[in-house]
Amino acid sequence: MLQSQDHITVKKSLFMNDLMSDTCLLSAIDFADRTFPFSYGLLPDSLSASIAKVGLLQPPLLKAGENGYKIVCGRRRLEVLRNQVLRQGCGRTSGLEVCLASAKISAQELFRRALWDNLAIREFNPVEVADIYTAALSLFSRAEVEQEIMPALKLPLRSRFQQRCQALAGFSRELRDLVAAGIVDGETVDLLREWPEAAQTILLEILADFGLRRNKLREVVSRMDDLARRDRCSPLVFLQAVRKGVAAEGESGGVEGLRQYLKTLLYPHLSAAQLEFARRQAKFAWPAGLCLEPPPDFEGGRFRLSFTFTDAQEWARACDRLTATAREDIEELCRRG
Amino acid sequence: MVDYSRSLFRPTTVLVEDEAATYPLTQSILSRLPEAEVIAVTRPTSENLSLLGRRFSPRTTLLLALHRGRFLKACPGTAESYRCCLYQILHLGLGCNIGCSYCVLQGYLNNPFITQFVNLDDALAELDRELARPGVFYRIGTGEFTDSLFMDPLTGLATRLLDYFGRAQNAILELKTKSVAIAGLLDYAGEIGETVVSWSMNAPSVCAREEGHAATIVERLQAAALCRQRGYRIGLHFDPLLYFPGWEEEYQQTVAAIFEYLKGDDIIWISIGAFRFMPQVKEVLRDNHPRTNITAGEFIRGIDGKQRYFSAIRRQLYRFLVNQIKLYAPNVFIYFCMEDQYLWRDTFGFAPVDNQELSHWLDQCCHRYHNLPQ
Repeated sequence: MLQSQDHITVKKSLFMNDLMSDTCLLSAIDFADRTFPFSYGLLPDSLSASIAKVGLLQPPLLKAGENGYKIVCGRRRLEVLRNQVLRQGCGRTSGLEVCLASAKISAQELFRRALWDNLAIREFNPVEVADIYTAALSLFSRAEVEQEIMPALKLPLRSRFQQRCQALAGFSRELRDLVAAGIVDGETVDLLREWPEAAQTILLEILADFGLRRNKLREVVSRMDDLARRDRCSPLVFLQAVRKGVAAEGESGGVEGLRQYLKTLLYPHLSAAQLEFARRQAKFAWPAGLCLEPPPDFEGGRFRLSFTFTDAQEWARACDRLTATAREDIEELCRRG
Repeated sequence: MVDYSRSLFRPTTVLVEDEAATYPLTQSILSRLPEAEVIAVTRPTSENLSLLGRRFSPRTTLLLALHRGRFLKACPGTAESYRCCLYQILHLGLGCNIGCSYCVLQGYLNNPFITQFVNLDDALAELDRELARPGVFYRIGTGEFTDSLFMDPLTGLATRLLDYFGRAQNAILELKTKSVAIAGLLDYAGEIGETVVSWSMNAPSVCAREEGHAATIVERLQAAALCRQRGYRIGLHFDPLLYFPGWEEEYQQTVAAIFEYLKGDDIIWISIGAFRFMPQVKEVLRDNHPRTNITAGEFIRGIDGKQRYFSAIRRQLYRFLVNQIKLYAPNVFIYFCMEDQYLWRDTFGFAPVDNQELSHWLDQCCHRYHNLPQ
């Protein structure tokens, strides 16, 4: 029976066999290589602060490659370090303590180790998930990806999520940055993946103009997508029209102006009904202080009347105003069609 | 030449739940599929269905299984604010392979396979118990979770149901379909009672673009005319109505086509319902049918949570279609499926006060209802 002491010995021996402690220069590291794509996006300030104070405590794991050392684990740490060195304006001359993977370890095994090592520390952002999934597809069999990699990434087996990952891999750097930062969510990615790149570029410009984030951005993209589908035209054609339309409407409208503009285009009948209801209310000089709302989206038959009061006198005045309202006016207001 | 004995679905693989293997319906279906690979599977659960779904293509695989719950279910009509006709569903199968882009089942079923329940005797025994209730009239259909006839040449189910409903005095059977697999109905020699065969109707371009490999509108109407000749009553269902450029002209064409093949008196009822869907179905539907644009209209959230066309659009669709039908058949009974009282009144000038009243109106369309001992 294996004793705990034996177990430790075995592990140590494995470690010694396929991972070696070494030193290397930062310039010897191939930062462009993304064979092990476990990190993407903004580097956390806390990591920068830690490395600035106490340096690298845990050596990164590297593997020798054609253009220098490939980063298996520790990309964020190395990027922070590189940024700090660049900021200080001097090249790091002393060797960096690293862990080197022996050539005997397969790329799949290294990928596995890096995946689980990263998972133990943090959650991946959506671009990282996509990059890891896409890289795993070229390293592992379909069954291995489905049975090991996808569950580890909490990636559902449904094709939509796989298509989302593949789409993210092909997005522009700017768009990927927004996804990684959580400004663009997964459902928006699903819509954008069918858009041509030029349309995505115009969207980014609109996004920069209006500062849209997450939910409102999803709503705007979804409405643009619906409009393009409805009229069977390219989103590109439509985005240009939207951009011109918003400009013509006046830039002061901001996000709400853009949302309203799209809503009017997508819901012409509903918008007309809302205008008509407001017109009727104005026409009948609806008593001030009493708020009458049509049914939500004019669906069903329940209108909502509300008012506020602070004492019995205000209550009585509101009731008087209500009872003084002509029945025909109410009927006209509630008329549908 | 249309082949009325052709099954729309011809599986190359049949999964047979181990306990279902000895049932006569299993044997009968397998005897009609001599070339199919037959694979025994354990009782399907959502987990193993998911695994099987990755191993066998749902497009070419049929699952034969036992149904262990109730066979007779109330139609899943939604909020009380929309009127439901209180139809009863005889749950004998799941899914179909016609491939309509708007099919709501895409968002509901967790079983990827077209499934035929083979314990028919259990279903009929349950019907015996239910139909024994005195003074109650039943309108029962099999076309809610599947198409009633699309693979009838394989299952022969319609004739088994005719054997039962031909004799049942307080129930009628409605078989709803988009296929023309009516050979079994035409050849049936027994008493057909007051069985209704119903076809889904739509605009020709909707049929071509959104209804997969369903029969064309004219083929459906030719089949309907043959069924009428054989003595069946005919139902028509304009559901889902879609709003698209040119809709008026196209629905007008369909109505004109109907009355080339049928008279108003041939039709027991016509239902109308505008397109509606649960919000979560939108993504599924787009995934499965990337080229469709049917969810990109002016949809609002209904009281039941479903996405529906804004009421002004529904009103346009309903008024136009009802007026067109009334031009040819002023007395035919038309009703709305899951619509609010306002649009009923707006279109017809009257509205059922509740679901029971609408149900009663449909019952009254049936001769058997009037012969029911009170």
